[in-house]
Amino acid sequence: MYPQQVHDYLQTFFQETNCPILTEHPYYMVVQLTEEMDKKIMNRPFYWQYVESAGIEPAPLQLTLVTDRTKLQEDINGEMIHFGSPRLNRLFEATKELGAFVKLYEYTGKGNSMTLTPWLGVNYKVSYYCHHTKEMLYSLGINLLTGQVVENFQERLKTRNLQSSIPADTFAVPYIIKPARALDRLDVLVEEMIIDDDHSWAKAAEARWLRDLEVLEYFYIDSVTKPESYELEKKALEEQYTPRIKVDMVNGGLFYLS
Amino acid sequence: MYIERSSDWKAGFLKRLEENGPWDNWTLYNMSYDMAEHNLITDFTGLQAPKYLPHFTPLAHQLEAAETVIERMNGKAILADEVGLGKTIEAGLVLKEYMIRGLVKKALILAPASLINQWVEELNNKFFIPAIAYRKKYGIDQSEIIVMSMDTAKKSPHRELIYEQDYDMIIIDEAHKLKNHKTKVYEFVQSLKKKFCLLLTATPIQNDVFELFYLISLLKPGHLGNFEAFQTSFSASKRTVEHEEYLKELVNQVMVRNRRQDTGVEWTNRKVQNIQIQFTKEEQEAYDLLTGLKDISSVFSGAFSMITLQKEICSSKEAACMTLSHMLSKCTSEEEIAYAEAVMEKLMNLEVNSKAEKVYEIISQADDKVIIFTEYRASQTYLQWYLGTKGITSVPFNGKFSKSKRDWMKQLFQEKAQVLIATESGAEGINLQFCHHVINYDLPWNPMKLEQRIGRVHRLGQEHDVHIYNLAIEDTIEQHILGLLYEKIDVFEKVVGELDDILTSYKESI
Repeated sequence: MYPQQVHDYLQTFFQETNCPILTEHPYYMVVQLTEEMDKKIMNRPFYWQYVESAGIEPAPLQLTLVTDRTKLQEDINGEMIHFGSPRLNRLFEATKELGAFVKLYEYTGKGNSMTLTPWLGVNYKVSYYCHHTKEMLYSLGINLLTGQVVENFQERLKTRNLQSSIPADTFAVPYIIKPARALDRLDVLVEEMIIDDDHSWAKAAEARWLRDLEVLEYFYIDSVTKPESYELEKKALEEQYTPRIKVDMVNGGLFYLS
Repeated sequence: MYIERSSDWKAGFLKRLEENGPWDNWTLYNMSYDMAEHNLITDFTGLQAPKYLPHFTPLAHQLEAAETVIERMNGKAILADEVGLGKTIEAGLVLKEYMIRGLVKKALILAPASLINQWVEELNNKFFIPAIAYRKKYGIDQSEIIVMSMDTAKKSPHRELIYEQDYDMIIIDEAHKLKNHKTKVYEFVQSLKKKFCLLLTATPIQNDVFELFYLISLLKPGHLGNFEAFQTSFSASKRTVEHEEYLKELVNQVMVRNRRQDTGVEWTNRKVQNIQIQFTKEEQEAYDLLTGLKDISSVFSGAFSMITLQKEICSSKEAACMTLSHMLSKCTSEEEIAYAEAVMEKLMNLEVNSKAEKVYEIISQADDKVIIFTEYRASQTYLQWYLGTKGITSVPFNGKFSKSKRDWMKQLFQEKAQVLIATESGAEGINLQFCHHVINYDLPWNPMKLEQRIGRVHRLGQEHDVHIYNLAIEDTIEQHILGLLYEKIDVFEKVVGELDDILTSYKESI
């Protein structure tokens, strides 16, 4: 994310979460946090505990966030925010939390008596770990009438006009396949995709693990009772090289599409 | 293969289905997906960091080093590039990478006091990492990324404050200062939690292989076994290394070392000459007389004080006289005093300094800017006076100078004076690529000090071949020092890897 992207991100984030932006500028902003946002991103639980127990007027913070110090002419005393900075990571976490579950209806603008088909869409993140990492996103959608599954579901959604309430004169067909069952079906599909994938990475990690173990064994070849450092290093190697796979959901929801 | 699944999302989704809400906002849903896509580490290999550093392009060997540290060494490594190849850049890349991946939030950088500002500037300007220099009055939690001097860090109350911080990453510059495990600073670093840790030094071995052992034991305790196991496996004699291949293999698991010639950057050559100098008859007599002191007086019988005096007289009578007159005050018997005074008189009467004359000869032939390194302040002053009498302008330089004075001396040297005369402590942190001649007037015990000296001149940006002159006086302690230097270089090369020329090759000079 370049400074400009960070800036746009912040702007949209605060707009969508109803935090008024008091000063707008290409390279910094002053934003008034809401109580909810203050609690989420400012990490000051004791203050909020105190406010609530003492029953005093809460005062959510104002933040001055500088997104591009190199271009800023003015002398602004604010927090530098950039990709990798802790504050931005907190905002990312908040975004994940606030954009996890949706139920949306498509507005086609075609007017009278449209019918909309129910879909379950889920964005999966699959991570391969050993001494390094690789991550993949799988965006899957399943038609809750037919059971048909499509990939790159998120891409399909992006071009559509989706709203949280059902449009007038429109009929949303109730689902036949229960979302819980559909979700199980998608989970199995993701697992199949993982199994079909190339796992030479895991074999390579194990080979490297073995080689490091041999070096370690050589080093202690003469000791009858192995010292604690031997066990420590052996454990460290295990943690470093053991191949693991993790499946997370980024987000997902019910989509009624034309 | 075992697949870990988290069930949180599923539970949350089913609950909302049942209760029909609350549902989230479509824009935030999209942002969340975009962010996940943006943060995705799509490849096992490769760095994310360069994408976020549009303003500067690291060199290939620097990117490769950062990649190796992260992918092969799991973020615990010794960065041991030769001087002048940009270890700071490599460390910055690694730190940035882990910050991007969200694995490091808090980091501590320990550096010599003279390099703190350089670190803060590089991290902020090159890497957009908001590092600040530690100031006692602002406290330690002023920033998540703190740069502090090692001398401050090891002392109370700073040391306790650091222990409380729970840093994700520790970076230690000039890490060869940790070679001695009995020092306070070693103990301090040992008790520091090191989840990710980088030790930066061009000279992981200075004198013997145990220094490397202690350095690696800080980084990954047990990697080289305990001391006893190490000593047994790698021989009791300190300077012969058995099982070199295995040791090298272990070392390579935790150490990245780029050599100039591997960098893909055009490097100029080093032309090294060891110059043997013959004392004049009078000088040799004074040297022998001085050496005789150890049989006459107990004040001079300690090996250390005698060696000091011998080294000094090889440098200049001025250097030797200062120590001698100091020691003279400790003599009690008449005989000792008489002998020592005779030595002193002999020294005072010396009219010729053969080494200084050789220096004049080298400078005249070079007809160019020259740096002279000496170990003694007295010799520094003497040389400045002596060269002055020959019409050669020079400026002194040492580590005790304030930053502004150092900058001024550097500028004087660049623009006005022909010669810069530096003492050892001046060698750290100045870059003098505009100069191509280095005279090692006195030899240190440690070859890496020579390497550090040469590195001031032979670094990125040097456009000419660099001439290095190592001076040693025949039939004196300096010849012994030269021999030891060769042995130490040999150990380094067997365990760590090849070195660029510091001395002329062994065969040539023996």
